[in-house]
Parts: sequence; C-alpha cells; structure tokens
Amino acid sequence: MNNYLKAPLTRRQCLNLLAKAGGSSAVLHAAGLFGLTTTPLKASPVTLKPLAGQQRKILILGAGISGLTAAYELERAGYSCRIIEASHRVGGRVMTLRHGDFIDELGAPQICPFDAAPNLYFNAGAARIPAHHSAILHYCRTLGVDLQLFSNHNKNCYTQDDAVFGGKPLRIREYEADVRGFIGELLAKSAGAAATAELPFNAEDMEKFIDFAKAYGDLTADLRYRGSERAGYASGGITAPGVIKPTRPLADLLRSNFAAGAMHFAEIADQAPALMTPAGGMDNIVQAFLRQLTTDIQLNCQVTNIQLLPQGVAVTYLRQGEHHTEQADYCLNCIPAQLVSGIESNLPATYLAVMRRLGRGKLTKIGLQAKQRFWEQEDIYSGISWTNQDITQIWYPHHDAFKAKGILLGAYSWVPEISDRFAAMTHPQRIAAAIAQGTKVHANYAQYIESGVSVCWQRMNHMLGCGAVWSEELQKTGFAQLQAPAGNHYLIGDQLSMHPGWQEGAVRSAWHALADIERREATRGKKHSTGVMA
Amino acid sequence: MNKLLIVLLSVAFLPSNAAVADSQQPNARYCLVCHGSAAQGNAAIQAPNLSILPDWYLQQQFVAFRNNWRGGAQDDTHGKEMQAVAGIMSDTEIHQAIAFIRSIKPVAKPTPGSIEHDVQHGRLLYQTCRACHGSNGEGNAQLKAPPLAGQQPGYLAQQLIAFRNGWRGNQADDTYGRTMRPFAQSLPDKQAIDDVVAYIDTLASSSK
Repeated sequence: MNNYLKAPLTRRQCLNLLAKAGGSSAVLHAAGLFGLTTTPLKASPVTLKPLAGQQRKILILGAGISGLTAAYELERAGYSCRIIEASHRVGGRVMTLRHGDFIDELGAPQICPFDAAPNLYFNAGAARIPAHHSAILHYCRTLGVDLQLFSNHNKNCYTQDDAVFGGKPLRIREYEADVRGFIGELLAKSAGAAATAELPFNAEDMEKFIDFAKAYGDLTADLRYRGSERAGYASGGITAPGVIKPTRPLADLLRSNFAAGAMHFAEIADQAPALMTPAGGMDNIVQAFLRQLTTDIQLNCQVTNIQLLPQGVAVTYLRQGEHHTEQADYCLNCIPAQLVSGIESNLPATYLAVMRRLGRGKLTKIGLQAKQRFWEQEDIYSGISWTNQDITQIWYPHHDAFKAKGILLGAYSWVPEISDRFAAMTHPQRIAAAIAQGTKVHANYAQYIESGVSVCWQRMNHMLGCGAVWSEELQKTGFAQLQAPAGNHYLIGDQLSMHPGWQEGAVRSAWHALADIERREATRGKKHSTGVMA
Repeated sequence: MNKLLIVLLSVAFLPSNAAVADSQQPNARYCLVCHGSAAQGNAAIQAPNLSILPDWYLQQQFVAFRNNWRGGAQDDTHGKEMQAVAGIMSDTEIHQAIAFIRSIKPVAKPTPGSIEHDVQHGRLLYQTCRACHGSNGEGNAQLKAPPLAGQQPGYLAQQLIAFRNGWRGNQADDTYGRTMRPFAQSLPDKQAIDDVVAYIDTLASSSK
C-alpha cells in the first residue's frame, strides 16, 4: 500500500547521484545556468527515448510554458498526453494582451481596450529573455520564434525621485555620468590607500588603478570630474562645439535611492543587456508550441482531486459543472503550489506542508495605450524610466518606432506592499493612479493616454500569484522534496526552479521531471525484458 | 468581435452582467479556486472552509463584505481578496453561490497545520468562546455565532487578528462583528491565538 509513497526517496537519492556524477543533462546547477562554469551548457533538452510500441499516458495539469514543454517533448517520444487547463486560455503567465482579450482577475474582470493593431500589445507577464536562458531560447530557435532585442537600460530614460531635484525627472545619462564622475574622482584620490591595502600593489598597479578611475569617471588629466559629454551636451556637439552640462553635487545625487538601487538593475545577470523578446509579443512562444502540438488541450477544466495510485495517478476535474476522472501513468502538475494545497488529494502530507509554506509573488503590471509616441520626441526608444512612486517603472516599446500609437508599461512593481495597494483599487483607479504618477516623469502624460489594462497577478484567477516565493530556509529544507516525484506525480513549473517567474525555470523544471520519467521508463523496460528472457 | 465577447462573458462569469447570470448557473468554479476543490478551505492562502458554514452565516458575510465591515481596512489584504469578489456579485449570484457550496459533498477535515501551540492552554481560553460558539464549536444560529469546528486553523487565527486589529467588528452597524471583537481583544498575544485555535482544531466537525 505504501510502496509508492516510499519509492520517491529512492528516486531522489538516484537523482542526487546523477547530479553528482553530472550524468544527466537535465540536472543543472545554478552556476551553469548563469554561465559561470567553464564548460558551457549544451542548450539541448532532455531527449526522451521513443516508446517502443508501448502505450504510456501522461496527464499535464496546466497549459503554461512548463506544461507545453512537457507535452512537446513527450508526444515526440510517443507518449500519449493530455493537457487540462483551468482557465479560458493557454499560456499561463506568458500573457500578451491585445484588443478584446479577457483579463480574468477575481473580482475585477476586464476586457483589454487597446485598439486592434499588430503593434498594440502588452506583455503583462513574461516580457524578456536573457541570452543565457538557453532552454527557452532552444525552443525559440527550434520552433521558429522571431526575436527582437529588448532593452532594460536606456540612458535617455529618466529617473524621478521626490526626494531630490524638486522631484523633477533627470535623464539617467546625466545622473550616471555625474555619479560615476565623482566616484571616479574619489577612487583616484584613494589610490594611495589602495597601495597600502593587503593586496600586492606596486607602482605599476597604482598607475593602472588610476587609469581605471579616470576612465570610469571620465576625469580630466588632473583627476578631477568637471562634467562629461556622457551626460549629453547642453548644446551643440555636431555642427558646433559641444557645451558640457553643469554637474550636480554628489550629495544631492545620493539623496535619491536610484544610486543604491535601480541604477544597478541592468547589472543583474538576468536583466543585463543584451536581452531578447519575441517580435509581436511573448505569446508567440506559446503559439509556436501550439503549432507543433497534437496533444489535446482542454480549457476551463478545474482540477478537484489528485489521487496517487500504485501504478499511476487519477485526476478528477470539473468541466461545465460535471466531474470527469482520468487515469494516467504519470501526472505532471503545473498548478501553482498554493492552489494545489486546496485540491483534495492523497499527496503526502509532508509534500503539501512545503507547498503551504511557499509565498505568493505579488506583482502588478499596468499597460497604457498612448495616442502619440510622445517619448520619441524626447529621444526615447525602448528602455525603462524609474520613479520612487508606486508605479516604479515606465517601459517604452522597443518595437514599431514612429507608428501612430504605442503601448507603454505604465507600472510594474514586485514589492508586495505596493502590489497590494494596486490590488485594493478598482481597475479605473489603478489606471488613474498610473497616469497621475507618470505625470511626474512626463508632464503631459495624461493628454496622451487613451486606455489601459491592469494585471495584479496575486488576484488572477487560477494563479493567485506570480512566482513562488521561497525563503532561503525553505529552499534548503523543502525544494528537493517538492522537486522529487510523489509516486507518479511531479510538481513542475517555474515554481520548482531557482528562477521562479522566469520561463527558463519553467522549461528546466519540465526537463528535470522528464529526465526522471525517462530513467524510470528505462528501468521498467529492463525489468520487462529481463522477465521475458527469464 | 461581439460574438467573441459573448462567449467570453458566458465562459468567464462576469457577475456584473445580470442577463448573463439569469441565463445560466453562475460559474461557481470561482469559489473553488480559493476555497478549495470541495470548499474545504485552503491552508496555503488562509481561505476558510465554507462547507462547515451554514447558509445564514455565508449570506451574512457577503453582506459584511459589501458593507465594508470586512475587507475595508487599508491593511486587511486578506479580507480585500474576498471583498473584491463579493462586491461584484448580484443577490441572485450570492444565492446561487451558496446553493452551489451546499451541493458539494463535504470532504474529510484537512490535515492540521504545524503551529507551535499549547492545546491545554487553548482549552482554558476556549471557555470564553463556549457560550456563543458551543462546547464543541458547533456554533449557534440564534446568536449568529458561526461553527468553528472543522475550520481552517490559519483562517481562524487570521480572523482573530483581524478582530483584534479592528479590521473586523469595528463598525457601528456591524452588530455581530462588534460582539466578537472584545473577545478577540481579550487574547493577550499571538501565542494565545495559536493555542485557542489549536484547541478548536481538536474539535470534531459535525459537518452539515
């Protein structure tokens, strides 16, 4: 009776051994994911051996990236798959909003009011792909998804902070040039101190250090910062001599929390240039999977029961008021852990206990349709402006320059308290708040914004969060437990990765489960053939 | 496009549209997203077990959410989640949702949580609760005291905190909420809350 509950331990040990031996391409280390190992990761998915005539059925719960990845790989190897999706749409948190799309927020349903035009779309969920996210890029390549460059960092965008410069927005290039200039000057002055540091530091090293400080800050020959063309010229510069802008005092610059925060955002491994995004919307990745899949995807099916069986899994779901039960050899479950916790099941209590300790990512994004691309008049094409107001960011479209209209990201916060504040508002209040706050960055903002959408992920139906929040302690004590199968049931999705909220985590969690299924099937096959030979 | 909209509306149960509500059973799947597959509650998100709550109490709470008695306080993130949903439901939809909850076969009491607690201390504290909520946590319809036995412990703790903070039971016309509040305030700290909730968790639900 309990055999199938005990089995995971053995499999987990086996997986650990595989990881130690580096024998499984799907068991990856974070260092590898970041490209920090000397051996580059092969961007190839787990290759499942084709089933030799045997029938194996897999139930996949959820049609987001992890579910689609699993279905794509499994059906190619001859497994019979079925995807059961709770919501009215495919794609999960890869959600590109266009004219007429339904936004299923609990208590605040909306229909996307954007004009119907190919360039008027908003990536309300996943929006960017760093180059080292080789697993999702593998599918972009093999499934033919056109990519464009996407920019987090644009020096022509603004930083706005009520704490400094009278709350007036400042170009990021000016802010950065001055901060780097003064810091460079301090570095050069402290070179003598560096020489007394414990590190070996001879005269030649000292010279190199000073050269670095000079280049870092764009210092004059006397190691002073007196402004820089990096800040942009006050006037001239092309057909007339450029006039350097006056500098701002370092103390003023540091009064903005931009210095200790957002200024370094694009230094984060996953946020650093160059990033990519599919042309026409992130959901082109979803569409690319759908073009290839023959697997049946049932929408509007809400799972109500998951039962581990000695030889498989039985899943019951509610569809148009009727309960249906299906059995399969394996179940790949992409449902957010916080919702699995509320589904009747015989999943081990220890397994559910970990799920109940996970936090719900609280993220809000607001998309705004502008009737004119006013930002282009301010020399902004793509990138992010930052503000210390709740909207936090304004993103400018990286695509379709000079078109009549455009979609801005008018707010993006991942701070739970801020996202809660947006969630507490009605949809029109959120749009009004986004416009009011954006006005501090662009004075005439309100006159350009025609309509908007708001997505508070912690309120979205069938999700109630974006990205599982693992405490450091829970990651140590619970991650391996949730990552291992419970019987023939695997919990997958970006929630089961060190990259919650990223498609890379979703793909790799699916690969991880598939590698384990592959191994179990191989063992089964051997047992089977041994039996035949005996 | 209109055709698509109609399809979307019927699939998605936009409750503000009375015509849609009249033409079909409300898509009460919505309740189950948060409240669990058999309305048994969800410990991960402190969603209450609805299957143990009588119709009159469910009805009363919809009123409480609509009247801003629950979910109105700025910091009551938990209450606001339900308030948003209650706020767009019509009377008909509320009746249908309650009928839907009643139609679900109750499931076994969910596994208890793992809070650090002292059940014996909780039993002592519960003496105060008995008068209204009953010796076995069965509730009392006449006093408008809901059953507690079988309720999600995390939800009960959350509500005691809400009463203490004045997020609940702090408004003039919320008679029953105001009755409860001083009792919640009499619990000195989080440990007392955890203890009394742990004791309630030992009471068998008569689940009806």
